[in-house]
Amino acid sequence: MSLALRQFAALVAKDLALELRSRQILALVAVLAMLIVAVLGLGLGPQQLASGYAAPAVLWVAYLFAGILCFERTMAPERHDGALAALLLAPVDRSVIYLAKLTTNLLLMLAVVLVVTPVAAVLFGFDLAQAPLAFALTIVVSMVGFAAVGTLFSAVTSSSSMRSAPLAMLILPVTLPLVLASTHLLVALFRDGQPITQAALAILVAFGLIYLTVSWLVFEFILEP
Amino acid sequence: MTRARPNLVALYWLATLALAATALVVVFTWTPTEQTMGPVQKIFYLHFPVAINALLACTVNFIACLAYLFTRRQRWDDLAAAAAGVAVLLCSIVLLTGMIWGREAWGHWWTWSPRLTFSLLLWLLYAAYLVIRSSFDDPTRRAMVCAVYGIVAFIDVPLVYFSVRLMPDIHPSSVSLEPAMWWTVLIFAVPVTMLAAGLIAAHYRLGRSHNLAQPDAASPRAVTSAGAIE
Repeated sequence: MSLALRQFAALVAKDLALELRSRQILALVAVLAMLIVAVLGLGLGPQQLASGYAAPAVLWVAYLFAGILCFERTMAPERHDGALAALLLAPVDRSVIYLAKLTTNLLLMLAVVLVVTPVAAVLFGFDLAQAPLAFALTIVVSMVGFAAVGTLFSAVTSSSSMRSAPLAMLILPVTLPLVLASTHLLVALFRDGQPITQAALAILVAFGLIYLTVSWLVFEFILEP
Repeated sequence: MTRARPNLVALYWLATLALAATALVVVFTWTPTEQTMGPVQKIFYLHFPVAINALLACTVNFIACLAYLFTRRQRWDDLAAAAAGVAVLLCSIVLLTGMIWGREAWGHWWTWSPRLTFSLLLWLLYAAYLVIRSSFDDPTRRAMVCAVYGIVAFIDVPLVYFSVRLMPDIHPSSVSLEPAMWWTVLIFAVPVTMLAAGLIAAHYRLGRSHNLAQPDAASPRAVTSAGAIE
């Protein structure tokens, strides 16, 4: 195993060990996402939900706010006891730090999706069995793009006095095209029963790759203890 | 030198005003009225150059953000802030003139067509930039966060363009106009571009003088070196 890969594995393992022992982030984020689903479900009412337009939108609202809180929380431990300064002093390439943080965020977000989506499916009569693989593919690809941007901005705001409200201001407008493309795909899948098209998926993959590359390049410049 | 500059600035704004007045006279007297749309079509002559200039202002913001990230000079951050403010202003004008036109052409102030959604998302992206700026106290931190955001936001613009194309479109994608109408567009483009450039320059100079008035905030390095001497 090459050195970069070993460093990457060690960083991800550190973040995951922290989360496994405290279980703070996942509990907080999953409950928040379920609350959002419940509140929006109550607000929309049964007729709106039956139209097929609402479920993807509600799911995405829950993912977005859960994600913003999750990215904020995974970066928070680095702020304590000079952890970030120590990390920067260690002979680790910054892109490895970025990719490790991104992987942690992605794993946590996928765990949140695994918890929240069945709840939403039950509450909204959202028939996941119709196209489970296409749904999983769409969400995983979208989450890569979302987590790429989220990890970048949570690192930017980490050493400042900003809290999660301005982090939402940074992440939400930037991820709008991704959310738009993803919800369109989901509506086509579940409301119209159309199979996922290669072109639509290609757009999502391209978004993910662009967000990933840009965030990875910019990350070099921004980490400061 | 110090006296000549305000005169030049005044001259610049007077010229812009005169050209804008000329453009208005031209559009209502010389330019032919469009057959199907009638007089409301004349709003296009403002709408189109402003839209182009809004994108140019976003480009200036992007270049300034990149330059800040590489050089860490406060002046690039000031330029980025000035360009973002002007981009939001121009984008608002594009949205408003577009809505007036849409009300006449389609009977609605707003439809979720790709071009309209694109303009709205563009406005949101740069309005968020301005909001983010005001939520920081530390100027170096603010400049850093805003530079990163500005870069990602600009790269987002083509993505917004592609994602909104998933929606059904009723906005005209290409315009076929008579030569006289294209001349009117050009006559409008000059004062609009001058207005955009002038506003960016004025806003930039205001930001510069504001930062230079607070030297400790503008250059934290000076503070740390002074602290080291003590």
